[in-house]
Amino acid sequence: MEGNTNLQASTFGLLWWHLLCSSGIPTAFWVAHRFQSVNLISTPHRTLLVLWVIQCPFVILLSSFFRINPRDCSYLKAVGRGVLGLFAGALVFALGAISLGAPVGSTYMLGTINWSLLMSLLTVSPAAAIFGSSWVDWKRIFAHTRPAGSVDFMVCLPAHGSIVGAWFGAWPMPLDWERPWQEWPICVTYGALVGYLIGMVASLVLGFFSRRKPYIKAD
Amino acid sequence: MSLISCKSLTIWTIFAMALQIAGLYLFVLGFFPVKPALSGASGPESYRPPGNESFEDFDVSSMNSDDLRSLYLELSEVPPLYSRLILLVVDGLPAEFVLGKDGKPPTKAFVDAMPYTRSLLANGMATGYHAKAAPPTVTMPRLKAMVSGAIGGFLDVALNFNTQAFLDDNLLGQFFRIGWKMTMFGDETWLKLFPKLFTRKDGVSSFFVKDTIVVDLNVSRHMPEELNRDDWHLMILHYLGLDHVGHIGGRKSVLMPPKLREMDDVIKMIHLDSILSNDSKQGDTLLLVVSDHGMTESGNHGGSSYEETDSLALFIYPSSKAPSDDVSVIKDTMNQVDIAPTLALLFGVPIPMNNVGVIVVDCLLSLTDGQLLRALELNSWQLLRLLKAQLPGLSCVVSASGYPADTRWSKVSLCSGTVEEMFCCLYSKAASLHTFWKSSTTSRSDSGLHYNHTVNAYHDFLMTASEWLTRKVTDKPFGQLAFGILAMVLSSLVFLRLLFCLRIEECLKENQGCAEMKSWSLEEIFVVVVVVFLVVSMGSSSMVEEEQYIWHFLTATLFWIIIRKVMKSLPLGDQDRLNKSSYNSRFSQLCSILVMLICGRIIRAWHQGGVNWTHLPDISKWLTQAGRSQEKAIRVLSVISVTSLSLLAFSKSRLNKLFSNLLQFFFLLSGYLVLQHVMIHQDDEFLVSGHGATFMAQIIYAVLSIVTCFTVLASPWLSPVTTCKESASNRQLDCSQSVKNRMISLSKGLNESAYLTGWAYVISWSLLQLLLQKPSNSMPVFLLLLQISAAMTYFSSNGAYRKSWVEVSALYFIGMAGHFGLGNSNTLATIDVAGAFMGISSHSTVLSGILMLCITYASPILVLLSLTMYVSLKNESYYGLDHTLDFGLLLKTVLAVPFLVPLGINSVLLVAYTIVLLQMRNHLFIWSVFSPKYLYVCATTACVYIGTFILTANVLYISLVYTLRRKRMSEVVQTTEREVIDQ
Repeated sequence: MEGNTNLQASTFGLLWWHLLCSSGIPTAFWVAHRFQSVNLISTPHRTLLVLWVIQCPFVILLSSFFRINPRDCSYLKAVGRGVLGLFAGALVFALGAISLGAPVGSTYMLGTINWSLLMSLLTVSPAAAIFGSSWVDWKRIFAHTRPAGSVDFMVCLPAHGSIVGAWFGAWPMPLDWERPWQEWPICVTYGALVGYLIGMVASLVLGFFSRRKPYIKAD
Repeated sequence: MSLISCKSLTIWTIFAMALQIAGLYLFVLGFFPVKPALSGASGPESYRPPGNESFEDFDVSSMNSDDLRSLYLELSEVPPLYSRLILLVVDGLPAEFVLGKDGKPPTKAFVDAMPYTRSLLANGMATGYHAKAAPPTVTMPRLKAMVSGAIGGFLDVALNFNTQAFLDDNLLGQFFRIGWKMTMFGDETWLKLFPKLFTRKDGVSSFFVKDTIVVDLNVSRHMPEELNRDDWHLMILHYLGLDHVGHIGGRKSVLMPPKLREMDDVIKMIHLDSILSNDSKQGDTLLLVVSDHGMTESGNHGGSSYEETDSLALFIYPSSKAPSDDVSVIKDTMNQVDIAPTLALLFGVPIPMNNVGVIVVDCLLSLTDGQLLRALELNSWQLLRLLKAQLPGLSCVVSASGYPADTRWSKVSLCSGTVEEMFCCLYSKAASLHTFWKSSTTSRSDSGLHYNHTVNAYHDFLMTASEWLTRKVTDKPFGQLAFGILAMVLSSLVFLRLLFCLRIEECLKENQGCAEMKSWSLEEIFVVVVVVFLVVSMGSSSMVEEEQYIWHFLTATLFWIIIRKVMKSLPLGDQDRLNKSSYNSRFSQLCSILVMLICGRIIRAWHQGGVNWTHLPDISKWLTQAGRSQEKAIRVLSVISVTSLSLLAFSKSRLNKLFSNLLQFFFLLSGYLVLQHVMIHQDDEFLVSGHGATFMAQIIYAVLSIVTCFTVLASPWLSPVTTCKESASNRQLDCSQSVKNRMISLSKGLNESAYLTGWAYVISWSLLQLLLQKPSNSMPVFLLLLQISAAMTYFSSNGAYRKSWVEVSALYFIGMAGHFGLGNSNTLATIDVAGAFMGISSHSTVLSGILMLCITYASPILVLLSLTMYVSLKNESYYGLDHTLDFGLLLKTVLAVPFLVPLGINSVLLVAYTIVLLQMRNHLFIWSVFSPKYLYVCATTACVYIGTFILTANVLYISLVYTLRRKRMSEVVQTTEREVIDQ
């Protein structure tokens, strides 16, 4: 396989990345509740805004440390492409959500935009910050789903987790339970976040395992 | 190499299809028994014995209501005991709450809650019954049973799908005919059933289950005023609150005693009112308290348990007419259907025709002996008429002369033999005893004994007949059902096994990377997942109601997975960069998938289908609001687009130029005709049914069918246009080479003809749909066509290896998503009946049924027809160069996958849904959600059969012509070779 396979990160960095990125979500919920007094069910678009705005520095700033060939590419550049990836990915996610049946209309527009920014932040941004325009890596992670190395896991698993989680999160929507959270994009967001956290745990575990192996071989 | 030969494949397929049809047939017959109901309404003839139905001397239709009433009075010989009726329906009240169970009184709380009713029962002012309701214990069928005495089957509901109004003979209709004024306050189900009968009405909705108070206050508020009026004869009060209490908290809800007290107050208020106690000038009034069904411990209903079927019938008499004390006040049981004949005789109207109930003798005890026997006789005649409709062999001839007072008749209690003989025997026994009693009334020596014998004999007959008729409707023959399901499961397994074989064979055929091909790729897994999700979602009633979301969601996801797959083979590595053509092909693939996605999304937004969210805005509503001109513009635009797409498609054909030009001309013509039809006839709805429109529609049908048949029949005989320069320059090539070239060109011709035929089918079908569908639906038809052609473009592009069964499944999913996109749903209400009469000059159920099927299943059939086109895309690589190809192998490679995949998917869904239906037979929504869905599933099966049949017939024809031409060509070649050798 071509590309930068078996990218490894230090144990310390790995731990901090996972810990901080995961803690961004509860922090955001807390902030939304404490300072904005909104929650996902009552005003989804505001809460989503808070979510992605607070999660944004965590993900982009931390991921940029793991950028490939750091000698050629400055830290700021990595942050810049992470931000660029955030907006480009949001466009793709918005289109994807609409194509899968998300409602189009002024009432849902803000919700859709903020949701896609959040999704993009969880999936595309870290990849953009780390891989930049190295399309071979993108293809390996997203088209083939063949992560190798702890950095690959770190990009791949949470991203796939949140996409699959969002997909499953859409299932309760047509049911006639008449619960407020069945509205777009509330339960989809819940699904995505649950998937993201599961992906985080999985990537942390697998990341450590993939790190240990070379050492064993070296011994 | 080949795992399964063509012959065994064919045999197995035919076997599985036959098995499936047989299983479905058995199941449907067992699950939805067809009840041969009598049509029309009982009239004066019901007072005559069955057999001499001629009643020319009474022209009922021209009679006014007063005359009819006096006629009934004169004929019936049973005087009406009451002249006004208050029907108090307490929804969901189990009889146990009022009457107790097994001789024990109800619980203390309930006794305390209904003091007045208890006192009425104790004083003999009322008689209460446990009225056994037939499943499904849901309000609407139960109300129907009460007023008509008949237990309807599901197919009766399904067959009058465009109206909920109750058209069978029933008490309310009979009352209306003799000029009764009726009022109704309560559940709006009554208004749906009888939209025009009530002079004053106030419907409350049963939709807000949480509301237990207001729903009943809205009924009670009318009562004081209504009780003071004396212009009505029947007042229906339908209280929903108790049912709502049950749904919220079950039988033991704390809200239950207060609710019962409220009902008790209502009864007290009516009973203490002057109309029941005094003899008003309107005559005596009967208060009948009934419930439509009971409830389980948790408050649900719909099934057939004792708790659910234990409904109440409480006859409360005016004080002047209370029966004598010796009658025990709490009777054991009756059937809910018995209410209808009892009321009919109490109020002097004919018993409704399809009644299977038996009169409750205790309510008629104030009649004289002779009148009571007459009442029994009338009931027997009515049941005998119904029996005759079900058992054509039944013919009882009862001699008019009385039998001697022989003790024989009272002793022969056993009647045996066939069903017909038994009924005949029972009836003639009763009838002759009756005749004898009548003749011997003058000598009253032992008339009391005879009277009892006669009543018992009538009772025997009525009970046996009623029980037999009821069982015929409600019994489900489980052996038959199980056998049907087993057959369907087996056929489904055969289909799946065949598909599995074909999949492995396809793997083997592709030599490259076989190991990788054998493992399941993501899109293959996803197709399986789709089927599993569909099967699972069928068990939930709200998922069945909102099925359109599932289809669209899963289809769109499949498209995204395909996009991911295309991305996978996107050339990015340095060694691939130079490969420009690969880039272009990937780009065109991506574009076609995006077209499919966008079209699918627009189709999904066209109709807000389903049940719960139909009120949300969608494009079709917006179009209808925008006005006729916009609608027309969209329709014209779609016709033009479809026609131009057809022109484009045929211009690409490599067959004979003249032929494709001819086709272009014909489709242009038919497109023009449809356009003309739209322009002239859309504006005026009355014109659509006019003569000109009908004639024009017929012309369009004719043109479309002629051009399609012509394409199908003629295209295989044509050769593709050979690139002349090549053949001219290659004259020097040796004979065998040129033969090979000609063979190749012949097989290309085969492909081309399949391609052309597929297009002809698809275009004709789309133009037909543009004519038939609602004006707002015209754009989705074009979008579907676009989606299918984009799918074909994607499938025809070479590159990443795809499993053909995945492609056919994707097409099938597009078809089903489009089915819901055209505004269909799983309720029978969305079937477009208006278009089904287009171009039919005289009323014909068969023709309009066919048109209705065409309209409803426009999208799945369009996809199945397009499979002919799909066939042409796939086989190019297989046989162009293969000289030794035999007919069977050709058919197998061409036909097997597109034929078996729709059948396989459909069979899995059919089996799953059949099992779900059987499991849900006692569910609350069995009649409203699950059974209509089953009808749709059956119709889809029929469509799949039709579509695959057309595909098979077409491909068989093309391949036959192809082999014939090959043979002829090789003969010609041989003779020329021989000539060459001879020279």
